[in-house]
Amino acid sequence: MKKSICHLPLKLLHNAVIARSATTKQSRKKFLDSAVKPRNDGSRLLRCARNDGLIKFLILFLFSFLFIPISVQAANVVNVYNWSGYIPEKVLQLFTKQTGITVNYSTFDSNQELYAKLKASPNAGYDVIVPSANFVTKMRDQHMLQPLDKSKIPNLKNLNPWLMNRSFDPHNRYSIPYLWGTTAIIINTKYYPHVDITSWQQLWNKKFRDQLLLLNSAREVFAVALKSLGYSLNDTNPQHLRQAYQKLIKLLPNIKLFNGEASQTIFMDEDAMIGIILNGDAYLAQQQNPNLRYIFPREGVNIWIDNIAIPKNAPHLKNAYRFINFLLQPKIAKMIALDMHYSSPNLAAIRLMPKNIRDNHILYPTKAELKHSEFQRDVGAANHLYQHYWALLKING
Amino acid sequence: MMNRASKTVYIMMIYGFLYLPILVLCIYSFNNASYSSLWHGFTMKWYAVLLQDNDLLRVVIHSLTISTIAATTAVILGTLAAVALYRYHFKGKQIFLGSIFVLIILPDIVMGIALLILYHALHIPLGFWTLLIAHITFCLPFVIITVLARMSDFDENIFEAARDLGASEAIMFLRIIVPMLLPAIIASWLLSFTLSMDDVIISFFVSGPSYQILPLYIYSLVRLGIKPEINALCTIMFAVTLVLVTCSQILFKKKL
Amino acid sequence: MNSDRLFTRFAIGINAAWLTLFALVPIILILIVSFLKPDPNFFVLMHFSPRSYLTLINPIYLKVFARSLLLALITAGCCLCIGYPFAFILAQLKTRFKPLLLLLVIIPFWTSSLLRSYAMVILLEAHGILNSFLLRWHIISQPLHLLYTNTAVLIGLVYCLLPFMILPLYANIEKLDLRLIEAARDLGASHLQAFGKVIIPLTLPGIISGTVLVLLPAMTLFYIPDLLGGAKSLLLGNLIQMQFLYTGNWPQGSAVSIALTVLMSLLLLLYLRLIPKAQRSQPL
Repeated sequence: MKKSICHLPLKLLHNAVIARSATTKQSRKKFLDSAVKPRNDGSRLLRCARNDGLIKFLILFLFSFLFIPISVQAANVVNVYNWSGYIPEKVLQLFTKQTGITVNYSTFDSNQELYAKLKASPNAGYDVIVPSANFVTKMRDQHMLQPLDKSKIPNLKNLNPWLMNRSFDPHNRYSIPYLWGTTAIIINTKYYPHVDITSWQQLWNKKFRDQLLLLNSAREVFAVALKSLGYSLNDTNPQHLRQAYQKLIKLLPNIKLFNGEASQTIFMDEDAMIGIILNGDAYLAQQQNPNLRYIFPREGVNIWIDNIAIPKNAPHLKNAYRFINFLLQPKIAKMIALDMHYSSPNLAAIRLMPKNIRDNHILYPTKAELKHSEFQRDVGAANHLYQHYWALLKING
Repeated sequence: MMNRASKTVYIMMIYGFLYLPILVLCIYSFNNASYSSLWHGFTMKWYAVLLQDNDLLRVVIHSLTISTIAATTAVILGTLAAVALYRYHFKGKQIFLGSIFVLIILPDIVMGIALLILYHALHIPLGFWTLLIAHITFCLPFVIITVLARMSDFDENIFEAARDLGASEAIMFLRIIVPMLLPAIIASWLLSFTLSMDDVIISFFVSGPSYQILPLYIYSLVRLGIKPEINALCTIMFAVTLVLVTCSQILFKKKL
Repeated sequence: MNSDRLFTRFAIGINAAWLTLFALVPIILILIVSFLKPDPNFFVLMHFSPRSYLTLINPIYLKVFARSLLLALITAGCCLCIGYPFAFILAQLKTRFKPLLLLLVIIPFWTSSLLRSYAMVILLEAHGILNSFLLRWHIISQPLHLLYTNTAVLIGLVYCLLPFMILPLYANIEKLDLRLIEAARDLGASHLQAFGKVIIPLTLPGIISGTVLVLLPAMTLFYIPDLLGGAKSLLLGNLIQMQFLYTGNWPQGSAVSIALTVLMSLLLLLYLRLIPKAQRSQPL
């Protein structure tokens, strides 16, 4: 920011800095005099060289950093690229404590970001990534993922068979469920006490003007429109997508903001009154603000799975497998699910959880509540259309 | 035009506007509540949480490393450039000056994506080097201009004197020009360091997984929503800034 | 002397090489990319196409440009209205604390701009400080829903950019000879006349510098609309960020960047035109 401020401010900033740091005119003159006056005494001039050491130091410094990255890369590490705040700090520390492997944890805020970054620099150096189901398919098809060697992940047996072997990745060749959940409607009953929401269609109601929070994700937002139009949320028909886009344009006056990562706080603090939210965030928000209600609309909701995968060219393969197997330990998986407040795919972990969590419908809904719901899948070439309309929608805002 | 009291009130209001939000954050960093903005009693636990955060410590070290190296390199390169621009006539001097000017007016975001495209075209993985190069590049023009502005106050005779005494250009640079420019060099180093420590926009585009830095870490924290840890972090950073400013004030006042 | 030539060449060469490789070449690359076709799988296809620029004329893009410019102008206006009296009073103060007071304006420069934007979130929330205060004093009965609106973005921008307005104004006003006002008064001018006809024209360079300084960053600080704004606060910076990191339409993003750069250059040219060289308060 401060760089783009053209030539004036820096002068000003400097004036501010220099004015106080610099010599006054007088003292500078004195310094100049001492340097210039003894024209016939070369040794005086050389005395000005008392900063020689400083300069040598600076030059040494300039070249010293040539060696820094080498020491950085040589360490025993695993580079994890995950959603922001999607793993408890404790888990990473435990892993490092048990294995001596340092976890370099960096974060993204959308699958697009993950995909773009990996595509832009295939040698970025990530070892473990956590894409959502649709991106597993997409990245698999573009040969960006490495087939998993199941023999190195014995803890795989703990996982819920209902979530395994889904069409986005048959036989889980490239990915393993990390956490799963649903996306449905949340409403603040303090502000809307007499509103009974049963359908996506009701979000278009004029009384919700500038109130809606939608997730910052093309697929989630289009799922709302597609479902309310009676289509599948994995629809690839361009005609249907166009209709969905036009339907969303009509929703724009009601949309307050698109936000994925802070939605629970926003609902909790009543900065938005109604919207769509991930179940885990809804659970957490409801713990703090009992006025909030999580509703499964009758058209069905989106069931998403975030998956652990290993990208091609992962530099620390061995550490990656150790890390993945570590995450699937019942105790660790329980820690993750309880801390992140999402649904765990790990049956062994769920058994370890307190009863009130196991019976919570937001986290572990019944089959009836999930009627007409669909697993989110990759939409292949149509994804381009989704993104196109999504960009248009946001720019239209 | 305005009487004294209303002037004072107005000034205080603006300072209030500038500082109150930060001060409130500092106060809330001691609040014993995770979510509520009501006062739930005094606690230091958010600082404890912060200090246990290994990630944070790492990104702080990363940031300090990048900023120190970038500021130092930019100061060395920039001083050389300023001296060359001031003392020598060479082909393409106008183009050189022009490109510095362009670099300064170029919006940060454009510079960020320009470098991203360059790295991408050259297949350089994003990380330490890409960040460092970007930071040096956006600090460089600031150094050149600060130092150049300072040099224009110089007495030309001093160079003549040095020449007469048989000093070569390199000796003259190291033993006369640099010592005389020291205040400007220190000032531009401090400025480069600050700019580099606080840069979000350019770093956002050119950073990779292996090398996360503090501003981006704060950005992801902030986007995640209200967390008392951010308040604590804010308090610490504000305190560090204040201490540094006070130190530099005392230092410069005593020395000169 | 040979070693002199070597030193000179080194000094110029290393900088010229650096600027060429990391400033000139990337900028040329943006230009090239903006004329290529987007690849649905990110990056570009090596086909010439002016489509990215044609898209810019699309009303929805123009809307973003217009909104950015408008918001930036209002920000600059607010900064001017708040900052001018402040700079004026500060410059006229006769106290030994003046350097300290000036320093206090500069300190926010040195604090993380992100954290200051975050402070605004805390201030403006529905259950935030501002609302608690107003509710407590019964000024309002329902919390104001300011956060995630363009108003919040505006407040955030003003908050972050105010020092950029105050400093050039201060530098300009400090040099002002107060006797001019007295002279104008002696010649029969009212307070208002003296202000409008004498002070304003004399401080015009400061006003314009400050305005330019606030206008330019206001359009590209993508993190402020990101943190404080809502679905209807997309600014140019966010648009570019979106095209590069999410939509993957690099040519389109490059075209927007170039349009932005051109827009800023025009503003700067206008600034150079408005102030004759001799009057410029802070020459390069």
